[in-house]
This record gives sequence, structure tokens and C-alpha cells, in this order.
Amino acid sequence: MKNTLIMTWFTLREAMARKVFIAFFIISCIALLIMILVFSLTGTTSIISGFSKSNQNISVHQITSGLELLIVTPLSGLCLLLAIFSSASFVPVMLEKGNIDLLISKPVSRSQLIWGKFWGGILVVFLNITFLVMGAWFIISIKFSHWDFSFLLIIFSITFTFAVLYSLIIFFSVITKGQTVGMMVAYFIFIILSPLLSSGHSEWGAIIQSKLLKSLIDIGYYIIPKTSELMGKITFELAMGKSIGDYQPILTSLAFLILTMGITISIFRKKDF
Amino acid sequence: MSLYAIETADLTKVYSSSFGKKKVEALTQLKLNVSKGSIFGLLGPNGAGKTTLIKLLLGIIFPTSGSAKILDEEIANYHVKKRVGYLPENHKYPAYLNGGDVLQFFGKLSELESDYLKKRIDELLELVKLSKWKKTKVKNYSKGMMQRLGLAQALLNDPELIFLDEPTDGVDPIGRKEIRDILLELKTKGKTIFLNSHLLSEVELITDRVGILNKGKLLKEGTVSELTEKKEEYKISVEGDGIDKLSPELLNGLNLAKMQDGYYTLRVADTQELNRILDLLRKNGVVIKEFSQQKNTLEDMFISLIQEAEKENTK
Repeated sequence: MKNTLIMTWFTLREAMARKVFIAFFIISCIALLIMILVFSLTGTTSIISGFSKSNQNISVHQITSGLELLIVTPLSGLCLLLAIFSSASFVPVMLEKGNIDLLISKPVSRSQLIWGKFWGGILVVFLNITFLVMGAWFIISIKFSHWDFSFLLIIFSITFTFAVLYSLIIFFSVITKGQTVGMMVAYFIFIILSPLLSSGHSEWGAIIQSKLLKSLIDIGYYIIPKTSELMGKITFELAMGKSIGDYQPILTSLAFLILTMGITISIFRKKDF
Repeated sequence: MSLYAIETADLTKVYSSSFGKKKVEALTQLKLNVSKGSIFGLLGPNGAGKTTLIKLLLGIIFPTSGSAKILDEEIANYHVKKRVGYLPENHKYPAYLNGGDVLQFFGKLSELESDYLKKRIDELLELVKLSKWKKTKVKNYSKGMMQRLGLAQALLNDPELIFLDEPTDGVDPIGRKEIRDILLELKTKGKTIFLNSHLLSEVELITDRVGILNKGKLLKEGTVSELTEKKEEYKISVEGDGIDKLSPELLNGLNLAKMQDGYYTLRVADTQELNRILDLLRKNGVVIKEFSQQKNTLEDMFISLIQEAEKENTK
């Protein structure tokens, strides 16, 4: 456990040294500054009346949550893309000749090394997402004098989405000792495959005639992590303070994460360096 | 408890290509014992299997067959590494860390207590003459400085067994001497040192025992003097031109040759023949000033051994 924490801490330092934090911080700060600027130029009542025109029954809570989501969701998506890009090299760098030899020569188990890198990467993303989400939440809450803490739960849904994709990046990093394949697969799942399978499973799947194709879409849907739903429906529900309607995307994605990490560690434990 | 710090039994490592078609035997049924408290030097040409052996012993790669123990523990037990230090050949440290941080990181991984580690880092940086560079990022270190830092890293946990793979690579002659002195001092403290090196003269200076490895096979093992001794050849110096004055008939049959430096080399079959010839020379008025057994340098022995092995392989 202690060794995992040491690896986690030094992964965090690696991220700081590689300016990952600064890049995230600058993007987040720009977004938050724009928010402050827009809010300072727009009165609270005009925002509320603007929302009320489209829906008479809308509450301040719904307006603030909607605004927060409107700003944070696309930014989180961007941050997730950046997070994948910046964290993809954590494991390949560890596996470089001369570095991995030294690490394995210490009284550390190989699984501790992998878990250290896993938690380190997650911590990096967690801290950055926390800064962005809390910043947006704080500005909006002050503007509307309405403090809704449930919105902060989206920090966990976004971080969890990253964790699932990161497990896949680590898996490919161990197999290929490089970062490219892992990154490509993570982007492909996040941007194309998961949204496609998710909508295929729930929406346009009904119009498909072929049973085989339908089954393939369903199998793919349950196997592939549901990043689209995690970042979409579930994040929305959390932000609005609603209870999560369907835990299936969380549970199947969690199972995917556990399985991927299990296979990765089992391969890593037998690998020659 | 065993007398040996390292024990291997038929240790074999075969590397396979991705599809298992091509196989390279990096180490073949190696039997090697290294005594506790000694300095053992492993010599061999590039690709002989020297680094493979260290990596096997440290669990960085896994044996194809055979077994090995370090400090009385099976190599699969990673906890034994608390008592082991290692300096790899091409070590790489995170470029964003400074010298002190590197030692801090590896010290923590070696499960050292913070207070002890802090003291130990300063001690070791002083020992390898890097105190002034403690706060400098390692990306600005020279090759020699990296080797010194590597040595400090290998000694952090005050290990009982130290593996050094080309420790003086890139280090200037003064630095090499300093590293040699450190190793000899460690030996006096009862540490076992396993040294891989290309620098034969260096190995000759500090090791108790030497092993010669070629193509994964241990060709020879022994003390430096055992390995370099030329049993049947002697060097003689005589007063004046005593030997030259002897009649050709008397010298006939003797394997005696004059060298450019005025010395003679004498080749004999055994000690009895040696004594017979010396008696004969003295009986004929030759005054022997100096007499010594001829020795190979480690380099001579190494080269001839490797060449012999190559010839055997091509047969």
C-alpha cells in the first residue's frame, strides 16, 4: 500500500513537471474568467427571465444546474480528451529501459507499480476536474445566491469515466510499451464507439432488420465501457440533483475497468524487461 | 544459512521472438556460487549474457528453467530486495527530479524511514562527491555524474549484496579510482559485490573471483591469479651473458628463449624439469638474478579463452 502511494505521489509530480497541471489550469481559468465576464455583464433577473420564457415552471435550482452543466459538460469533455493525451505516457515512461529495471529491483511488487500509476493518473484528472467544476459551481452559486452541492457529484462521474478509459490505456501501454495504441483506442471508444453503441442500443437499433447486427450491437454495448452515458445521462442526473435512474452503465463500466486492470496486472507480472 | 550470497542451479534463459520461431539462448544451465563478503567480477563480450544474469537474479526477467537464490531467498521473493542494491547499465531517472529527489524516491521504495533516509542521502552524496549537485535536475548531469548518482542509489539501503553493471562506464580515471576505493571499502564491511564490466584491468584490481561468460556459458571461474597463471612458463634474469656463453650442445633441447629486454623465458613440462634445468645452468656458472613464473594478464587470458570458445563453436 505504501509503495502504491509513493508511485501515486511521484506520478503526480511527473504530471506537474510535464506541465499537465498548468495546461489544465490555464484552460479552466480561461473558461472561468469568461463565465465571470459574461455574468458581470448580465443581470441575474435577465438570465432567470430568459430561462422562464421557455419554461414557466423552471426553478432557480434548475437554472443554476442547467447553466453549470452547459458550461462544465463541454469543458469536461475537452478536459477528458486532454487527460487521455497527457496521462497516456505515464506507464510507457515507467516501462523505459533503465527505469523499469530500477523499479523492479526495489522491494516493490509489480502490481504495486501498476496500481501506483493508475491512481496517480486518476488523481491528476480528479484534481483538475475538481478545480474546474468547483470554480464553475462557485461562480454560479454566488451569482444566483443558490448553493446546490449535488452538482459537485459530477466530479466523480467525470473522473470515473476517465478511470475506465485510463485502464484501457494502461493495458495497451503494458502490451506495446508505447502510448499511441492506447490513446487511439481510448479516443475511438470515447468519441465514436460508445456514443454509437449507446444510441444503437436505445434508439436506432429498433430499425435494424438483421438479428445478427442487432445482437452484435447489444454485445458491443454491454462489453465496451459506456463513456457516452457516464458523461451524458448520468452526469446530467447528478448535476440536476436527481437520483441515478439506471446503474447498469456504471456497473458494466466498473466491471470492464476491474477486468482490464486484472488482465493488465497479470500480463505485467509475467513480462520480461 | 548458506555461505553464498548468490547460488544458481542450471539457470537458463531462452528469449523467443514474438511468434516463437526464433530462439536465442542467452544463458545456458549456469551453475555459479558467489561467496558472501567477496567481490565477484563477471566478464564477457557483448551479448555474453552478463546483464541477463543480473536481471534474472533481480526478477526483472524470468528464467526459462533452473533456479537461483540470493541471500538465501528464492529470487521470486521480492522482499529480499530490501537487502539488495543495483546499478543498471543504462539507468534512467525521471528528468524532472533533482539528485536528492531521485535518492528520496528510490529510498522510499526501498522502505527506508524518512529521518534515516534524509541522513543517508546526504552521506551518500558526499561519498560520491555530488553534494553540490543535490538540487540540480538530473537532466543536467553528465554521464559520469549519473554513474555516481547511480552508485549512491544502489547503496541507499545499505545493501548486503550489490549488483553493479558497468559501474565506471563514462567515468574519468580519477572517478574510477574513487569508485574502486568505495567498492573495496564496502568489501571490508562484509558486503558482497557482483560486478559486470568490460574493463578487465579494473576487474583485475578489485575482484576476489572472476567468471568468464560467453554466449550464455560460463567458460571459467576462479581467482584472478588462478586464471592468469601460465603454469609452464618462467622468466629468468641472469648476471652478464652467462647463458650466451654456454655451448649450443648444452642448450640443445632446452626451451629457452632470449627476449628483447634481456630476460629469458623458459618453458618446461613440469617442476622436476624446471629444477633439472636450473641445476644445469648453475652448474655451468650461470648466476640467476631473478626468477618468476610468467603470468598472463587477465586480458590475454580473456581473449585467448573467448577465441578458443569461438573456434569450438565453429567446429
